[in-house]
Amino acid sequence: MEGVMNSAIIISILATGIRLATPYLLAALGEMFTQRSGVYNLGVEGIMMMGAFAGFFATLHLGSPLLGIIASLIIGALMGLLMALVSVTFKAEQGISGIGLYMFGWGLSGLLYRLYVGGITSIDGLKEVKIPLLSNIPFLGPIFFNQNILVYTALALVPLSGFILYKTSWGLNVRAVGNKPEAADTLGVNVVRIRYECLIVGSMLAGLAGAFLTIGQANMYADNITAGRGFIAIALVYFGRWSPWGILLGSLLFSMADSFQSMVQVLGINFPYELAVILPYVVTIVALAISFGRVWAPAALGKPFQRGTRG
Amino acid sequence: MVEKIQHLEMHGITKRFPGVLSNNNVNIHLDAGEVLAILGENGAGKTTLMNILYGLYQPDAGNISLNGKKVKINSPSEAIQLGIGMVHQHFMLVPTLTVCENVILGLSKTFLVDLKTAKKQVQEITDKYGLAINLDAYVWQLSVGEQQRVEIVKALYRGANLLILDEPTAVLTPQESNELILLLKNMSNQGNSIILISHKLNEVMAISDRVTVLRDGEVCADVNTLETSQEALARLMVGRDMAPCRRDSEFFPGKPILELQDVFAKGDMGTDALAGVSLTIREGEILGIAGVSGNGQKELAEVIGGLRKVSKGKIVLNGKESTKMAPARIIEQGLGYIPEDRLHVGTIPSFSIWENLILKDHHQPPFAKRSLLQNRVIMSHSSSLVEKYGIKTPSLETPTGRLSGGNIQRVILAREITRNPVALVAAYPTRGVDIGATEYLHSKLLEARRNGIGVLLISEDLEELTSICDRIAVLYEGKIMKVMPVEETDERLLGLLMAGIVE
Amino acid sequence: MKKVLTLMLAVFTLLAFTAGCGTNTTDASKTAETAPQAKAEKVRIALVLPATVDDLAWCQSMVEGLKAVQKTMGEDKVEVVTSEKLGSAVDAGAAIRQYATQGYDIIIAHGSQYQSVLMDIAKDFPKTTFAYGSGFETAPNIFAYDPQAQDGGYLLGMLAAMTTKSGIVGIVGPVESGDAVKFNSGVQQGVAKGKADVKTRIAYTGSFNDIVGAGNLAKTQMSAGADILTGSSQQAVGAMRAVAENKGKYWLSTDMDQSSVAPDTVLAAQAYNWEKVVTKIIDLRKQGILGGQHLTLTFADGTIELKYNEKLADKIPAEAKAAVEQAKQDIISGKLKVELPKK
Ligand SMILES: Nc1ncnc2c1ncn2[C@@H]1O[C@H](COP(=O)(O)OP(=O)(O)OP(=O)(O)O)[C@@H](O)[C@H]1O
Ligand SMILES: [Mg+2]
Repeated sequence: MEGVMNSAIIISILATGIRLATPYLLAALGEMFTQRSGVYNLGVEGIMMMGAFAGFFATLHLGSPLLGIIASLIIGALMGLLMALVSVTFKAEQGISGIGLYMFGWGLSGLLYRLYVGGITSIDGLKEVKIPLLSNIPFLGPIFFNQNILVYTALALVPLSGFILYKTSWGLNVRAVGNKPEAADTLGVNVVRIRYECLIVGSMLAGLAGAFLTIGQANMYADNITAGRGFIAIALVYFGRWSPWGILLGSLLFSMADSFQSMVQVLGINFPYELAVILPYVVTIVALAISFGRVWAPAALGKPFQRGTRG
Repeated sequence: MVEKIQHLEMHGITKRFPGVLSNNNVNIHLDAGEVLAILGENGAGKTTLMNILYGLYQPDAGNISLNGKKVKINSPSEAIQLGIGMVHQHFMLVPTLTVCENVILGLSKTFLVDLKTAKKQVQEITDKYGLAINLDAYVWQLSVGEQQRVEIVKALYRGANLLILDEPTAVLTPQESNELILLLKNMSNQGNSIILISHKLNEVMAISDRVTVLRDGEVCADVNTLETSQEALARLMVGRDMAPCRRDSEFFPGKPILELQDVFAKGDMGTDALAGVSLTIREGEILGIAGVSGNGQKELAEVIGGLRKVSKGKIVLNGKESTKMAPARIIEQGLGYIPEDRLHVGTIPSFSIWENLILKDHHQPPFAKRSLLQNRVIMSHSSSLVEKYGIKTPSLETPTGRLSGGNIQRVILAREITRNPVALVAAYPTRGVDIGATEYLHSKLLEARRNGIGVLLISEDLEELTSICDRIAVLYEGKIMKVMPVEETDERLLGLLMAGIVE
Repeated sequence: MKKVLTLMLAVFTLLAFTAGCGTNTTDASKTAETAPQAKAEKVRIALVLPATVDDLAWCQSMVEGLKAVQKTMGEDKVEVVTSEKLGSAVDAGAAIRQYATQGYDIIIAHGSQYQSVLMDIAKDFPKTTFAYGSGFETAPNIFAYDPQAQDGGYLLGMLAAMTTKSGIVGIVGPVESGDAVKFNSGVQQGVAKGKADVKTRIAYTGSFNDIVGAGNLAKTQMSAGADILTGSSQQAVGAMRAVAENKGKYWLSTDMDQSSVAPDTVLAAQAYNWEKVVTKIIDLRKQGILGGQHLTLTFADGTIELKYNEKLADKIPAEAKAAVEQAKQDIISGKLKVELPKK
């Protein structure tokens, strides 16, 4: 066993883990903003599918994965707007609207693909970008600094999200609106607007996460391409206690376990495959169970806001 | 800076809610530097009127003018811009933000929050009025009194020179109340106008210049404080003479009915909130628990009610050990319970009044026969309770959460007392309740005592404790400092014990 | 306000449903539908699929088989309707029952997971022919079809072993069950036969339709040294696409010839000829046999074919191809029997 786990293999496991963590990280950071403002968006999976399709389709026809990224951001924003309209303006039950959005995204992406693409089609997606100098650092270089730009983006978004949430006025408003919207409202913070903004930003990141799957990993599209990753991202928001660093930790833990179990299977190390494939889930659940400390869920999570209601 | 409010006038204000006329053609006026008190029974429409002034509700009729100019206040931010600040009956603070963040919330318009400058500015205000608060503390870490101060600073920081306070002292300890009164005086001396809503007549007398009394949504009196008295105000509010209740000194306690033996329990933060509490409540006595809230009162009520786990020690109710009983069993054993958080623990806000009134007995006769609800019995029972306890509601079907704060309280009292318990735990039962209802409640507790019920009364109101309790125990940091007959107590001694000082 | 909300929600759900599960995608038979008079001699076939009609694998191979049947017998003689994305057996059950009620003659439920629902439904429609696969359990009006995936796997394994340069053949499996196990075991035996010191590495994603996961697993396989990869189920295209990114790495496809999408990557394929299978079912039904037979797909009757990618013909050593062809003949003649994994 020690023989097979040489440094090239370990680098491969870690580099793959970081790559696998990217869609979770993007989608979960987006969901974090949404939930921090008091709305949970269970439609992430559907938005990711639409983003995946949009990214794929734009890359296919415009020939540039960068345009694919932009397309996925736009589609994500539109999906977020739809969710905001239903759940914030019309105050529909958030869980149900989210599931509706998920089904809508799934159905629509499949339909558009059938209508405008047809069979399995490949695209040229994002290429790895070696960061000069840094990528030459032994061991760390190939793990961190030889990835595609969406991986770098996702990693950079972690401190950036923390900064936005804790240092900017907008972040302060978001935190207030998610915890006590009545209070924010009495101080002239526009609760509805903040929730719209968070849903849109969050959904853009979900769209980007979807695009990562098509133009950053698979280089093709197929129905149900997300295969549940959006829901895992939502779970990681809880795991990460609504904090960017917590979410980073959760995403890495889950993905490293996944990457590790794949390698264990591939190398034929004697380990039952059924256990191997559930390893990431087990590790994450165990970590969730043993991690302690107070859980600060946004207190107004899931509650539509209406000025002057009682009880 | 906004134009200073020299004169406020609300004219002909009318506001309807489904089934209630909450304000009916109400007029009030106020000058700079004046303190106006608004009095009225629970549900009289005081909060509604203030919410209209603060832009949270729109009146159905009437208008508001400032310095002679008519204004339309569409939202709280417009009210803030006009120089109006409000401290709400239910605090409007974000617990997960720091004090400073709460104060500047909604004002910070730059991309980055400039906490340093903000802190300096907030500090200036706290210094000017002598308000001591740690600006970096999280609001959830603060006592209720400190939170109140944050609310005031928040309004001042926004340049408010008209400050509305909706029952600010209802949740304060006596010391905190006194500090607040001094602060308000100081503020009015500096030219600010203040509107104060309170049920505590002594405070009203102490601080206000003028009193407007509301009854059933209408103004029934507008008097200068100097020309009136507590008794006169009480009469105006309730419409009849009031006589404060006192216990009769005959005191024949029976056998112990509720006993706590060296009880330990953890609080929400995981520390020992109760650290070895031993108490005995006997039939036919009222035992008062004095103490500054946050010293284990909530946990004490909860362990007795079976809502919190006892980590060590033993509780005996009506001769049976109830330490590990489920709440439902404890209720069967004869415990009545009036919790601290009435809105969410004591009632189900979305349930109608009649549903809440039979919440604990809906499964047994006379309310149910063979698991069918007996509507006729329930309705007549409920409507008689609504009448007896003076619950102001448009109908029995109204969701309880829509009632005014004081009326929700009455629903619980009505239910718990009429269940004929052997022991009754009441946590702050008169907090936010008007004087009429307080008097009624006290008479009910005394009646329960006469009927042999053992009552545990948790309160911060020393006057309440000394007027109806037989014995008083002081709770400090989860421990009982001392238990003594009421005759041996006085305010000074209780005050010292409540601060943890033993002579 | 409330009205608008209700309306919104309704529209929302409607959109989701119409666009959503994609039931009743009529396929290639729109012309046939408009001729009810010709009903008497027309065979009406309904197909229920776990994944999509264009998955380039298991489902698509059947769809194309049916198209071929229509072409051979005449579009006016065969009507085909398809429901796709019915991965859950409960949803599929509803669709199957509906088709039976609508009077379809032959209902093909293309997945082993449909066995028990079929057993249940078939009793209520004794005049209808049902078929499913892979499987072997039958009923008087149920056919079970059963590709001998291990045979093709064996040949592909031999080919891989004699072609690989790194000495490692990687399998990207879906879930360890059914056809995948059969196929993988065949590959493993074939590799061992082809060249003694070549290793087969098997890993599973735990899903049938996670193309991204399959792609990632393929990348892991390659980073650990595999240069020829294979794998079954509809997610396999994801793995194939990942292989196509790398020069000098090749893919062997199963169920269907996937070389059309990755002409520079797919060396060879085991392809199922569903046209023959379905034609056989139609014939049996005409003779009054509604079910009860276990139909195997084999090289012997041409229902399994081994296809080479002409474009990459030069990548396969001549002796490898010769050995594979010999083994194929031995399988057909019965001289060689590929073992099935013992469960
Ligand atoms: N948002 C609302 N929806 C329905 N009814 C309301 C609403 N707000 C107030 N009411 C009703 O208006 C009446 C007056 O309520 P309000 O809160 O103004 O009373 P209050 O004088 O502040 O009483 P308290 O002393 O108990 O706080 C009550 O009958 C209450 O039920
Ligand atoms: Mg009020």
